[in-house]
Amino acid sequence: MGTSNAKLLQGTLDMLILQALRLAPMHGFGIGRRIMQLADDALIVEEGSLYPAIYRLEQRGWIKGEWGLSEKNQRARYYKLTARGRKQLQVEGENWERLAAAVTKVMQAV
Amino acid sequence: MELVTKLWWRLRALFGRSSIERDMDEELRAHISLRTEANIAAGMSPDEALRDARVRFGGLEGIKEACRDVRGAGMFDVLVQDVRFAGRMIRKYPGLSLVSVIGMSVAIAVAAGYFAVSNAFLDPTVPIPDGDRVVSLQNTDATGEGGDRQKARDFVAWRDGLKRVHELAAFATTRRNLLLAGRDLERVDVAQMTASGFRVARTAPHLGRVLLDVDEGAGAPPVVVIAHDEWQRVFGGDPAILGRQVRVGADVCTVVGVMPEGFRFPVNHRYWVPLRIRPADADSGGGPSLSIFGRLADGATLDDAEAELAVVGARMAAAYPETHQHFRPRVMPYAYPFLGLDDPHATLAIRGWQLGIALLLVVVAANVAILVYARVATRTGEIAVRMALGANRRRVIAQLSVEALVLSVSAAVIGLAIAAFGLDALQAHIRADANSQLPFWVRLGLSPAVIVYVAGLAITGGVIAGIIPALKATGLRVHAGLQQLSMRGSQQQLGQMWTALVVVQVAVAVAILPFAVYNAAKGVGRAFTQPSYPAHELLRASLSLEAATDSATSEAATADADKKRFRQLAGELLRRVEAEPGVSGVAFTSQFPGNERPARIEIEGMRQTEIPSQTVEPQGASIRTAEIEPDLFSLFTVPIVAGRAFLDSDARAASTVIVDQLFEERFLQGASALGRRVRFLNKANSGARPTEVEPGPWLEVVGVVPAFVASGDFDGSDPRVYRPMALEDASTRLQLAVRGQRDSLLDLAERVADIAAALDPALELDQVQCAADDELQERRASLFVAIGISAVTASVLLLSATGIYAMMSFTVTKRRREIGIRVALGADARRILSGIFARASAQLSAGVLTGFALAFAVDRAVGGGPLSEKGMLLLPAVAALLIIVGLLAALGPARRVLAVHPVEVLRED
Repeated sequence: MGTSNAKLLQGTLDMLILQALRLAPMHGFGIGRRIMQLADDALIVEEGSLYPAIYRLEQRGWIKGEWGLSEKNQRARYYKLTARGRKQLQVEGENWERLAAAVTKVMQAV
Repeated sequence: MELVTKLWWRLRALFGRSSIERDMDEELRAHISLRTEANIAAGMSPDEALRDARVRFGGLEGIKEACRDVRGAGMFDVLVQDVRFAGRMIRKYPGLSLVSVIGMSVAIAVAAGYFAVSNAFLDPTVPIPDGDRVVSLQNTDATGEGGDRQKARDFVAWRDGLKRVHELAAFATTRRNLLLAGRDLERVDVAQMTASGFRVARTAPHLGRVLLDVDEGAGAPPVVVIAHDEWQRVFGGDPAILGRQVRVGADVCTVVGVMPEGFRFPVNHRYWVPLRIRPADADSGGGPSLSIFGRLADGATLDDAEAELAVVGARMAAAYPETHQHFRPRVMPYAYPFLGLDDPHATLAIRGWQLGIALLLVVVAANVAILVYARVATRTGEIAVRMALGANRRRVIAQLSVEALVLSVSAAVIGLAIAAFGLDALQAHIRADANSQLPFWVRLGLSPAVIVYVAGLAITGGVIAGIIPALKATGLRVHAGLQQLSMRGSQQQLGQMWTALVVVQVAVAVAILPFAVYNAAKGVGRAFTQPSYPAHELLRASLSLEAATDSATSEAATADADKKRFRQLAGELLRRVEAEPGVSGVAFTSQFPGNERPARIEIEGMRQTEIPSQTVEPQGASIRTAEIEPDLFSLFTVPIVAGRAFLDSDARAASTVIVDQLFEERFLQGASALGRRVRFLNKANSGARPTEVEPGPWLEVVGVVPAFVASGDFDGSDPRVYRPMALEDASTRLQLAVRGQRDSLLDLAERVADIAAALDPALELDQVQCAADDELQERRASLFVAIGISAVTASVLLLSATGIYAMMSFTVTKRRREIGIRVALGADARRILSGIFARASAQLSAGVLTGFALAFAVDRAVGGGPLSEKGMLLLPAVAALLIIVGLLAALGPARRVLAVHPVEVLRED
């Protein structure tokens, strides 16, 4: 994973985490797995680097963490999207689409 | 909302660090074990699964650090680190730190003390139920004259005319003799108050009842209500106190109630008797002057009440133009008249001073900033390296600010301690004074508001002293800083700023110091001046007569009868005291020497503008005056240096005066005053414009005495003019001077009080004390002020000197490289030194000259003072001091630079 990849992630990781939590609450490990799953393994997330991002989102009030038990009865911290987080996800999704479309246009130009 | 969440996490980070840390640990470990399990499920061996989980996770410590940063838990570590670093810096530069802390703590102590006092006065909450609804009502004189303004007539008119103020009440304070079988006579402050006053206070008595309306009726039996601690002190907490008889002045009163502990309403009272409003007074406009207060009606505001009162006031002005023409009645918060805040400008002035004193801290902090900057500037290289290595500017500024904040917070703690000590001393001093009129609700101490204010000051001081130098040092020139690190390039742009700073610093010090030193020296001088009369053998007392409250006769007739009675009683008292063993003489005067009242005079044949003194204003020359019994001077062993003493015939003729030598010195350039004539310029009576004066008759100077008074007013420098007085001229108040023997003066004081009490209980003898004690008190107060001024002056001087030193040595050190090159090129050491000193002297002289100009401008603005007297000598002295400090500061580094081998200087590049 090169630096360029890391930078791309830094900009978009927040959005990806919010998206991963859209359907159900999940713990940190689950979020990482879900992102990779959704991206068909095209994105590799260094699992540790998820946590600063998760904490940042929690601090902003977009997600909320609570201790719970995993399927295998292990204590884990589950995060769920808050109402404000849902709104934020929508905004970021729209922004991303605009950006992606613009970048694609530029790259497809001859 | 986001802000609130953030703040919540920040607070949690600060106070719940360990729980954050624990949660984080558990969560990260859970992640690794979840991944391990998933790996095992995918077919890896347990060892392999764990290793893979760790690799995928990444560096655990680095991630934890990143998480801490997000959670804000790292903030604390950084702060601790900064504070520790600041501590190291303070130890490394102890001189700078000490000077900064001393300077700022003195400034903070002064500011905190003033804030505490002014706040206690400006925002007093009178501790009675709904105290904020209680108001004072007062006539203010549109012409700005002071004096007694509300009497029975106003009270009755206001009480009957106002709907928006309920329970209108009035009181007057009198001092009375308290006589109780088996106890010595005592003088106590008694509130003569209407029963409505107790209804305003809304405080139930501890025992018995408060005053009632029926007590005010003519012929009602005299009653008294007493304070809780007087009940304990005087009556030993007697449970059967109610119904006991006690003599209060001329009346034998029945005790009907005891108020609860701490109740001192209306101002600082412990005894309450009914105030009887005589119908005759209400009609004639006579009677004692009254303080009037009441409660705002529900829903009414101060403005509502004042509007209503204005209508009543206008009616009164129309009905009684001779007395009420210039009056404008006002409604104000209850406490204001008792704290001298009834003048609307007073509040503003107090706030203005508050600001001015806070500005003192800004000046001090700016000085500290210069010191800090001089130090930081030597570290620009270090700062540049840190920033180049990736420290962001905020971190560097934060660290430098923490350094300054540590200094300013230490200063704040010390300053608060000094202020607390000073306020305690002041409060004790005031409360110890039996005649203190300080209202019971005023508490001089460190309230939470003061602490908040000081915290604000400390932060302001820290910001000025730390952030400004930090901003400058980390300014956009990291590149230049790095260059400096490698080249030690000369910094021309800095040179100009330093020159300006040196000039300003020197100028301000030269301009301010003479005034401060002059005032401090005057205070110290007064504190150590012994009176030139035998104060240790003199007893002083104030003698007056309790006014008769005979409702049958008219006021004028009563007053005349009082005067006659007083003269007769005073004469008898003087005779009896003089006959006492050990008494070598007795005299009376209108004001005891040292407390003469201010007045203005005109000197015959001399236009006011010709009098060569700043005390002369268009309304005449300022002097102090008293009427004295002809043989007062001999009692005080004051010699007549020219002319003659007063004769008994002078008192009758009322055409002569005696002046002191200061009078000749001040007004006549030392020429003899004998035979000159003066006249008093009295304020014109009502009807005329109040700025007009009515000259009295011409009086001839028949004698000259030395300026013998040591106590009294602070400047003590007004010339004295004495007029003769006979007992027949006395009204109902006199000051007594009794000369006895030094060792038995206290016994004598008791005997004099006994004689007075035996003559008539209505004869009031007050403030009986040894003149030397009074002198001592005055001298202590002088010393107190002098110490305050000296402390502030010394800290300013210290800071200026250090600031100048820092700047001078800094500028010279800056030229190290240049000098090294010149020495390497063969320049003569003497030439280099003279070059350095020429520049330093030029800066210092520019500062001194600017300072001179400033000092004269200030001197002129304040109407002359220090500079016109011996203070003139202070200017060159202060200037010389600062120049010496500046040159010494340049000398050290210059010698160091010259001592270093040029190659070494150049090798540093």
